[in-house]
Amino acid sequence: MAEVNLENVEKRFGETWAVAGIDLTVHDQEFVILVGPSGCGKTTTLRMIAGLEDVSAGDIRIGGRSVVNLPPRDRDIAMVFQSYALYPHMDVYRNMAFSLQLRRVPKKEIDRRVNEVAEILGLTPQLKRKPRQLSGGQRQRVAVGAALCRQSGVLLFDEPLSNLDAKLRVHMRTELKRLHQKVRSTMVYVTHDQVEAMTMGDRIVIMNGGKIMQVATPLEAYDKPKNRFVAGFIGTPPMNFFSGEWVDSKVQLGGGVKLPYPRSSPNGTKSVVFGIRPEHIYVRPSGNKGETAVPSVIEVVEPLGHDVVATASCGAGVFQLAAEIHDGLKPQDKLDLQFDMARAYLFDRDTECVL
Amino acid sequence: MFEREAPLGYALVLPAVLYLGVFIAYPFLMSVWMSFSDAQAGNQKWTWTGWANYSKVEAYDVLANSFHVAQFKEKKDAEAFLAARDKATVTAEPAEGGKFKGVLHVAGKDVPVLQLDNDGDASFAVQTILSDFDWSVAKSGTTWDVVAKTKDTPLTLGEFQDRKTMKDAIKNEVLVEADTTIQEKGTGVLQDPNFVRAVKNTFQYTFGTELLKLLIGVPCALLLNRKFAGRRILRGLVVIPWVIPIAISAQGWLWIFDSTYGVINWALVHSHLVSPGQVPNFRGDKDWAMFSLILVNVWRGFPFTAIIILAGLTAIPDEIIERARLDGANAFQRFFYIIAPMVRPILMVSLLFSVIFSFTDFNTIWIITRGGPYDQTQVLSTYAYQLGINAGYLGKGAAISLFMFPIMAVMVLAMLQFLRREV
Repeated sequence: MAEVNLENVEKRFGETWAVAGIDLTVHDQEFVILVGPSGCGKTTTLRMIAGLEDVSAGDIRIGGRSVVNLPPRDRDIAMVFQSYALYPHMDVYRNMAFSLQLRRVPKKEIDRRVNEVAEILGLTPQLKRKPRQLSGGQRQRVAVGAALCRQSGVLLFDEPLSNLDAKLRVHMRTELKRLHQKVRSTMVYVTHDQVEAMTMGDRIVIMNGGKIMQVATPLEAYDKPKNRFVAGFIGTPPMNFFSGEWVDSKVQLGGGVKLPYPRSSPNGTKSVVFGIRPEHIYVRPSGNKGETAVPSVIEVVEPLGHDVVATASCGAGVFQLAAEIHDGLKPQDKLDLQFDMARAYLFDRDTECVL
Repeated sequence: MFEREAPLGYALVLPAVLYLGVFIAYPFLMSVWMSFSDAQAGNQKWTWTGWANYSKVEAYDVLANSFHVAQFKEKKDAEAFLAARDKATVTAEPAEGGKFKGVLHVAGKDVPVLQLDNDGDASFAVQTILSDFDWSVAKSGTTWDVVAKTKDTPLTLGEFQDRKTMKDAIKNEVLVEADTTIQEKGTGVLQDPNFVRAVKNTFQYTFGTELLKLLIGVPCALLLNRKFAGRRILRGLVVIPWVIPIAISAQGWLWIFDSTYGVINWALVHSHLVSPGQVPNFRGDKDWAMFSLILVNVWRGFPFTAIIILAGLTAIPDEIIERARLDGANAFQRFFYIIAPMVRPILMVSLLFSVIFSFTDFNTIWIITRGGPYDQTQVLSTYAYQLGINAGYLGKGAAISLFMFPIMAVMVLAMLQFLRREV
């Protein structure tokens, strides 16, 4: 059992708060992703779990045992670093075996584990090579392999894919996910890339400003964002926001745009932020209930292949929508765009919470 | 004509080529030629003398260090013989061919030890063995021997012109088993005891300083690599010994080393640790003098070692050290398994430079001891200068300085080979 519990964990660097009191439980064998913009405290959180940073307050438990006073080597964890942190003077075999050798694991056992992990990761032909003789992807696999050899309860990843090129990154995403299904360790994975978070995690933890914004499965985070930050962070292209007022079951935006809002009334709040995802704005009516036409002008069209991201403007402001290339959008097109109000959100302008 | 780059390139390197030719290649070739000639200051004409400056043997001295005076089957007989040494006497007895045997009479035994040309020499030499040598009993093979061994000065058995007469003479002259050494005498630098000492001193100086520089430089670099307030200032201060011109700092050390007024001895005397008559004579005693030279060189050179190693340490990414901590390496294991191997290539570069500096160092020695006392701290560079410039024996001076060339070449090639394998 390697459950990771964080209880009111804080980290201060002098006057600044890097992590401002977070509670989180990562279940045994779960793959949890910490995601957020740079400076949100996700890496600091991971380093506190690893023991590379001390906690300023709070408690961290791994497998039920408090580890805040334990050195990193006694915490039943292994970590994969962003730069891979391979020992340049050791060959691949020694890189993977080093931690076991320090722990005085019998030679035969080390040999067995290293060869097994090398087999899983396809590194067997490279065992006698030095890190500088390897490609970026191979180095990345060696770093993962070194962590796997430990057979620790918890594996920590600090943006391990950010140094790879785009194609390899997509490939390694799948590989890591498959690996998790095979080794069944608890995994905590830090990334700033919301696509990585959405595709890999059992659950994702969205952080901002040293606080947890939401803990949810990828689908929940997309469908039921708790606040404006999560709504804006998850999904590409990002959600469109308009400032407005809520009056009589309608949302009044700038430029005289009025949208009916079918869901329950936001308890007397008047100032709101209206949010709708680009993929929920349609070029022509689909016949669904709750669609509202908004007269708009197309300004820019960015074809991505089958999909097109278009930037348009209406009286309320500029926004993006996702269309298909066969919709034939052109700049300066004037048309009524359909806002799918059933899939739109209202946020309190002051608390930024969803209404 | 400004379109093509090659002429401009040649023009740019021309001053460097001229410099190398005039100030490096010409003097080097000149000194090679000088070392094979009888060049002396004031001589207009130099004549070719071959290897004479390097090695020219004119005579061989035979020196005896110990004699096996008597041999016994039983240990107690040997000890009895040794005990009777006090009552022993020496006589010179005529031998065939007009020679004389020096005979030792101990405990009723007559032991002919040497056979020399006249009776005075024979009795004097044997008397010296009897009264000035240390006598002891030692087991040699199956017998117990009474061995007379020199205390300091070996007994000179004679001077010979060539190896054959010398060997015949030893066979005829020494009548007991003896341990002899042969000393070459001559005018080549290899026959010069001061030169032999200079070679020894050069190695002692170089490796003594390099070892100490590493022992001080590595911890210093590790310290400076830690994060603490005032680290930048301290990093700057550390290099001060390295950047002060040696002529100035050595002058300071001269004052420090002064046996009467120097700060060390003054402090020793005034804290009543050492009486004024027993203070170390830093420049006048040969062991202290070598110690002082090494001290100055280490003081001056360790910042270089430390800064280079610091550069190597700074180049190690933090994540590597953090991974080592996670892998379970303690501070010692991190140093020996991770940090040291990663710093080793750059350490070798610093060692390479440092060895060259120390091996060819002239300034420190010349200012502090001038090779003294009595040439005891001469190194190759100072002795070459002393003999070649001050004494005017240009040929010998050149020969001495050229001796450094092959030694340095071997050391540098070995280190470069190591570096190439490493990187």
